[in-house]
Amino acid sequence: MTWTPLVALGTLLLVAPLLPGLAAKTKALLTGRRGAPVLQLYWDLRKLMGKGAVYSTTSTWLFRVAPVVVVVTALLAACIVPLDGHRALVSFTGDLVAFASLLGLGRFMLVLAGLDTGSSFEGLGASREVHFSSFVEPALFLCFAGLALASRDLSLTGMLGSPLATAWPTAAPSLVMIGVSLFLVLLAEASRVPVDDPATHLELTMIHEVIVLDHSGADFALILYGSALKFALFGALLVGVLVPRATVSAPTGIGLLGLGLVVVALLVGVVESIMARLRLSRVPQFLVAASVLASLGVILLLMA
Amino acid sequence: MTLFFFGIALILAGGLSAALLHRRPAMADWGFGLLVASGCALGATPAIGVLAGRAVSGVSLAMPVPGGPWAFGIDGLSAFFLLVVFGVGLASAIYGLAYLAAERGHRAVATSHLLTAIELAALALVVTARAVVPFLIAWESMAVLAYFLVVFESEKADVRRAGLIYLVATHTGTLALFAMFAFWGRSAGLLSFEALAASAVSLPAQGALVLGLALVGFGIKAGLVPLHFWLPEAHGSAPSHVSALMSGVVIKMGIYGLLRVVNLLGALPPWWGWLVLVLGLLSGVLGVLWALAQHDLKRLLAYHSVENIGIILLGLGMGALGTSYHLPVVATLGFAGAILHTLNHALFKSVLFFGAGAVYRATGTRAIDRLGGLAGRMPLTWIAFLLGSVAIVGLPPLNGFVSEWVVYQALLRSGATRLPIHLAVLGVAGLALIGALALACFAKVGGIVFLGTARTADAEQGREVGAGMLGPMFALTLACGVIGLAPMLVVRPGLAAGALVAGLPADAAGSAGTEVLRAMTWIAILALALLLLLALGWTVWAIGSRRRPMARKETWACGYARAVPRAQYTASSFAAPLLASFGPITGVQQSRHGDVFHSHARELVLEGVALPLWSAIRGFAWRLRPIQQGRLWGYLVYLVAALLLLLLYLAASGEGTPP
Amino acid sequence: MERVADSLLLVVILSNFVVLGTTRLTTCIRAVAWQGALLGLLPLALSATWSVHTMGLAVGTIIVKAIALPRFLAWAIREAAVRREIEPRVGYVASLLLGVVAVSIAAAIAQRLPVPGDHPVLLLPASLASVIIGLQVLCTRAKALTQVVGYLVLENGIYLFGLTHVDRVPFLVEAGVLLDVFVGVFIMGIVVFHINREFDSLDSTRLTELRE
Repeated sequence: MTWTPLVALGTLLLVAPLLPGLAAKTKALLTGRRGAPVLQLYWDLRKLMGKGAVYSTTSTWLFRVAPVVVVVTALLAACIVPLDGHRALVSFTGDLVAFASLLGLGRFMLVLAGLDTGSSFEGLGASREVHFSSFVEPALFLCFAGLALASRDLSLTGMLGSPLATAWPTAAPSLVMIGVSLFLVLLAEASRVPVDDPATHLELTMIHEVIVLDHSGADFALILYGSALKFALFGALLVGVLVPRATVSAPTGIGLLGLGLVVVALLVGVVESIMARLRLSRVPQFLVAASVLASLGVILLLMA
Repeated sequence: MTLFFFGIALILAGGLSAALLHRRPAMADWGFGLLVASGCALGATPAIGVLAGRAVSGVSLAMPVPGGPWAFGIDGLSAFFLLVVFGVGLASAIYGLAYLAAERGHRAVATSHLLTAIELAALALVVTARAVVPFLIAWESMAVLAYFLVVFESEKADVRRAGLIYLVATHTGTLALFAMFAFWGRSAGLLSFEALAASAVSLPAQGALVLGLALVGFGIKAGLVPLHFWLPEAHGSAPSHVSALMSGVVIKMGIYGLLRVVNLLGALPPWWGWLVLVLGLLSGVLGVLWALAQHDLKRLLAYHSVENIGIILLGLGMGALGTSYHLPVVATLGFAGAILHTLNHALFKSVLFFGAGAVYRATGTRAIDRLGGLAGRMPLTWIAFLLGSVAIVGLPPLNGFVSEWVVYQALLRSGATRLPIHLAVLGVAGLALIGALALACFAKVGGIVFLGTARTADAEQGREVGAGMLGPMFALTLACGVIGLAPMLVVRPGLAAGALVAGLPADAAGSAGTEVLRAMTWIAILALALLLLLALGWTVWAIGSRRRPMARKETWACGYARAVPRAQYTASSFAAPLLASFGPITGVQQSRHGDVFHSHARELVLEGVALPLWSAIRGFAWRLRPIQQGRLWGYLVYLVAALLLLLLYLAASGEGTPP
Repeated sequence: MERVADSLLLVVILSNFVVLGTTRLTTCIRAVAWQGALLGLLPLALSATWSVHTMGLAVGTIIVKAIALPRFLAWAIREAAVRREIEPRVGYVASLLLGVVAVSIAAAIAQRLPVPGDHPVLLLPASLASVIIGLQVLCTRAKALTQVVGYLVLENGIYLFGLTHVDRVPFLVEAGVLLDVFVGVFIMGIVVFHINREFDSLDSTRLTELRE
């Protein structure tokens, strides 16, 4: 029993709220503004934790349970990813399905909590969330299938571990395509431009932000933390694909993970400052492009 | 086997008691409930024994009966389906007691209970029959009894229409089965399943005709796209416990039939596996899309049966491909996935239909957009429905996740093999899409029906239903939970049954099988951890929020005061953008009359293909009417002519001559 | 060099998807231009020694496919005042998915096809995929100019197939490049037709009068 996976998990939990701040800061700097401090989300979380919550008279127990479910499922999903580059806390064949399904459970509860308020705004956000996620899911699974083919392993630990490192030289084109596809998935799952705009001020154009309009106080803090954690999780997957760390020691691996996450956040910031948000009816097309890229990667691997 | 037949007898006795004692309702209900329950328990005992690894000897009727020996037996495959029949069947029968209690007096409730009992017996005989004739008799009884159960509210025109469509469809299927068995039996000589299996190698073109006819005959019963057109009509119109029985058990007989045919044939041509795989993808994706487009709660659930049959067929297709390409691991996992998902779907779909029935009983409507806010009025039904939704979407920690996981395994493991079967790995995208769309659909159902505020007076009058309906609902929910938390209980026998279908030894999956079972332990740990963490998190959270101030106000929604219930999001608006991005295949039609928008989901295959075909056949039949002139001597002429023609044919072909 | 060639071919396949997925005609043309340039580089990547023949082929292909034809198309858009949006008969998402199906079919066929000689893994699949996707664009896009693009993609696929026989059948590829002349005539025809329909005249001096 080594402690590195646990340390890595702790690092991820600690670093997660940094990423949205980094992305926002990058965007601000690139667009010639000073922007909010990088650590803004930490302050927000602290402030919200001290505040009381207001619950709608319409809402039920589900509304109050949902934030806990969102964070717990993301936490468990994080246990399946080999964060230190070597092993995860939990690893078994086909654990990738568990990874996606756990996040799915969090999404399901979040969407239901939105509908629990009976407000049209939340309904609108919930509808969009399930709409777009149904195009994201195939892309994610195709990425996983590609990684499984490249590494000949069906657990995330194997798929992102040493077999992947040995597969890189021969399967580079497919892995790059899968990496790009995974990045598009990350943009969608973390509610970033061009799918969703975290900085928008008009409710009618929001997705994630509008589902949680009625959440307040500590509940809202959990939701914010949960979505930051999801950002970090997909970032960790991406880092795992592009920088296999099986050859370096676990502590170095954790360091590289932190570095990689920062780079991913910067990249998201760059994308946000050079792209506009897509028209909502165009989003499915963008997400299908992610699936197409991943499936080309898979086909390429099948031919090898 | 004796135990099994004794159980069947008890179930039939239960049905009789309901019919005979109908003047004393309380006694009839108790008699029916107790007898059917003990019958199901007795009948299921040998099945559980088989799943635990004990062999049960078959029986064969010694008397000379038409159609060769009548044999019955229970193997691993039958055992799984017997569990489904007795488990879900019992729950439906008990639920039906409470559900139909309100109708006593103005409808034939006692007859319905009697028919339910006979239906259960017929279903149990279908999966245990080991010869063609008893199989077809049981099959046909099952189909016809289901018709009578569906048309319970026969004074309604749409119910009669649904029943008629079902009857025509199921008989078309039976016709295909007759043709299949006739053709197969001809080359086998004897009509027992053993003889059929022995003659499988001599079938022309690797049994292409048999496999094609099986896909039509059993496919209609299973409701795979495009043969599903009868299903939403029938399941939507039947009483809820019958819908649960139809959706959970009756359509699964189609799956059983396909698995049995595969089991008897042994070798399969590759095209069949690919065809089943593609049909599975089609059924899955289209089924869930059509479900999203529905406005009627029960029709929506019916389309989800089409979707889940799609997932089952994905597994079955992978199993068939594994058999064709001699890949024991893929074959075992594929068939095991199909069998396990059959069991799981029967459980959670029945929970959902029971929930829908409770909503219908409480509010008098099944229109999703007329409901809302039932979570507070029917808290227990809501919990069961929510858990059923989590299960059907395939999310941990419930059983739907387990079987979808096995199907994913089969798809992913095919990737590590050779051309062309490894192209099947792209199927994961389809399965992922199906799962995500199902999530969308159940977010819609749960959110619109149970959450928010009541949209109409109907929804406002909703009250929690009684224990008679909640009991079966929670019993099956509990089963979903047990399988989710201890998946190895069913996955181990599931793998054995999968290997059995593929004609392989029980440990054919080898090290992959061990890996799968080890993964099941991990899934159990993960599910348990999820529950514990949720409980822990919630406790910490609740204690923590006690010291924070809390207020209850009306929904903020950016300060839109005076929100009226009608302004809430509706199911139609929730699903509209998603459906729009899939274009015309969803069958949604929108129209506008003044200020009122109206959207309607057409059943494309029924209205586009089946009904036009039907009217064409009717037109042709009308032209044959002159033959029916109504005079006795005319009919006698027909008889004699037919007899002469047959004799002439026999004489010409020389088949009638004794050896 | 094999890996360079494979990477080039991969980008060729991806550019087909740009053609399928984009909403703008100009992006479409740009994608085909890039495809032409990649096709020009391919003979260099394929042969170990750069003879005059391969150099000539590369330069000729790039001039015709990557510079001349795209410019001609852009000119046609300007002259005939074609709307710059693509008006597909089959939606973009469906087109993209059909494209994936096309590539899988191409991959499956390519593994069965007995082509003599030693080629990069992706040469045959890329060629077949381009042919199928070109046909798909021809069938599913209503506009004449997008059909030209489809024809170009199709023809690029044929060019790729020609590369598998470049050492055995001399001048096969060169003859393929000649097909592009046909494309030129095609585009001229469209422009002439458009101008004719709009103004009932081919007199370009009268067209200038209409300028603001």
